Amino acid sequence: MAVQPAVTDAQLIARCVVQDDRHAFAELVKRHQSAVRACLRKLTAGNHALADDLAQETFVLAWKNLKSFRQEARFSTWLYRIATNCWLADARKRKETLLGDRDADVGEEDDVDPEPGTASSPDLARATALKLDMERAMGVLSEAERAALVQCYHNDLSHEEAAFVLGCPVGTVKTHVFRAKQKLKAALAAWAPNPT
Amino acid sequence: MTDSDQTPPAGSVDEQWLEQLLVREAREHRDRYVGDEGFSARVMAALPAPVAAVPNWRKPVVTGMWAIAGIAFAYALPGAVHDVAREAFVLLSAKPFSLSAIGAMVGALAIVTYGGAALALRRD
Repeated sequence: MAVQPAVTDAQLIARCVVQDDRHAFAELVKRHQSAVRACLRKLTAGNHALADDLAQETFVLAWKNLKSFRQEARFSTWLYRIATNCWLADARKRKETLLGDRDADVGEEDDVDPEPGTASSPDLARATALKLDMERAMGVLSEAERAALVQCYHNDLSHEEAAFVLGCPVGTVKTHVFRAKQKLKAALAAWAPNPT
Repeated sequence: MTDSDQTPPAGSVDEQWLEQLLVREAREHRDRYVGDEGFSARVMAALPAPVAAVPNWRKPVVTGMWAIAGIAFAYALPGAVHDVAREAFVLLSAKPFSLSAIGAMVGALAIVTYGGAALALRRD
C-alpha cells in the first residue's frame, strides 16, 4: 500500500500560487521528477541528456503556468501534457531522424547494462536484446503514435487521460495506439513465439 | 491504462505476445526510479527570479502623500485653481470650437488618461 505524503500535491500547489513558495515547488519537483524524466526518456528513445533538458523545461513551464492549473486532471497528468508538448516542439524544431544515432545512444545510456560477470546469463542477454529491439522499434513509430503508446502503457493513463495529455479526441488516441501496435508487431516479429 | 484495458480481445492470440511484451516493458518502466542526482536543484536554479513583492502599505502611503501634497499646494497658492480655471474658461469661450475639435480633445484626453493608467499599472 502506497504511503500517502503528509502534504498533498494540491496543498503544495496552493502554497506555490498563493505564497509564491519555492520550497513547495521544490517538493513537487522531487516528487514528480522521476516519472517525468522516465516518460521523456521513453519519448526521446533513450536520449537521457535531451530528456533531462526537456524535463527541466517542463518544470519551469509548470512553475510559470501553475496559476492556470485548474485541477481538472491530476498534477502528474498535467505535467505529462507539458512534457509531451515540449518534446513535440523540440522534435519539430530538430526535424530529428528518429533512427539516426539511436543505436549509439541506447548502447551508452541504457539503464540495464549487464554487470560484468553476468553478461553471459542467457536470460539477461535476452532481456537486454529485447530492450534494445524495443527501443529501435519505438523509433519506427511516428511522434503521435509513440506519444500515445507511452501515455497509455508506460505512464499507465486511461484513454481519456491520454487524450487530455495529447490534446486530441479519445478516438484518435485509440487509432494511434492501434497503428503503433501494428508497426511494433512488424518490427518485433523476431520476438513472436513460433507457431507450433 | 489498466491491465484489463490492455488485454486483447479473445481470439487475437496472434497479438497476445506483443500485448504481454508491452505490458511487461511498461511495468518495468514504471517500477524503475530515476534518481534525482541534482536535477531538482538545477530546475530550481532555472526558475525565473522572484519579482520583488510590492508591500501592502505602499498604496495607502502613496495616496496619502499625494493628498498631503495637494492640500499643501492649495494652502500655499490660495485661489490658484480658481484663477487657472477662470483663465481657461475665458480663453476657451473667446475662441469658438467646432464639435469635431471638442471630440478630438476629449479623445486625446481619454487616451492620455488611460495610457497613463495602463503604464502605472504595468509598472506596479
